[in-house]
Amino acid sequence: MSSIKIRTKRLDGNTQIRCLIAHPMEHGRNKDKATNKLIPAHFIQTLTVSHKGKIVANCDMGAGISKDPYFAFLLKGGEPGDEIVIAWEDNLGNRDAEKHTVS
Amino acid sequence: MNKPRRDFVKTSLVIASAGLCGALAAPELYAAWSQGDFAETPFDQAIKRILKGKPIVGTDKIDLTIPEIAENGAVVPITVTSSLENIGKITVLVEQNPVPLIIQAQLQPELVPFISARLKIANSSFVHVIAEGDKVCYSIKKKVKVTIGGCGG
Repeated sequence: MSSIKIRTKRLDGNTQIRCLIAHPMEHGRNKDKATNKLIPAHFIQTLTVSHKGKIVANCDMGAGISKDPYFAFLLKGGEPGDEIVIAWEDNLGNRDAEKHTVS
Repeated sequence: MNKPRRDFVKTSLVIASAGLCGALAAPELYAAWSQGDFAETPFDQAIKRILKGKPIVGTDKIDLTIPEIAENGAVVPITVTSSLENIGKITVLVEQNPVPLIIQAQLQPELVPFISARLKIANSSFVHVIAEGDKVCYSIKKKVKVTIGGCGG
């Protein structure tokens, strides 16, 4: 199952893109209470949103984003049937992408 | 004159210039995640890196929605919208966090200058939003009071 959930909604001629990603977003300064060792950093570094194959948003982020991050963007125009792809990559090299069709 | 040597100089020049072009074209397409930008630095150094020498202008045309009192600093919803034109990049910084830079979003003209996310705030602090225009950076800040810090541990 993909780690990304995407929802889109038409709003006054624009398209709202919302996404929820399942990710721990550890910044590497938290301690594991059981073992008293630092939990290694594990967070998303880049997130890209593309609309019909063109990248429209390119976000760089640190671990200051909350666990299981949520993002929302607002696309000018946009029509039913348009393809939205959201992809992320984290500091350990994991990556995931999810496709969504505007309804 | 030494022919092979001349050829060598020529080809190495060609290779060098090709490499240079590649390097120039790359930043537009790929978000090169920069370790330096997301390092643990004091806030004033972090903001200097973001501004890259552009002057900073206070504005009321950025709408920053964030709770004044956050009960849980680990999840603070933030929404930024702007009526400014030509905004290429929206940056969010939290003054008191160990890593002040939270997110840098490069938005293409196809998107409305709008972004919503959830962030961690360690202590009660100012949250700064910087919208980068062509020549200047517009900024707005809001104080957020945190009752439980976002860094846990």
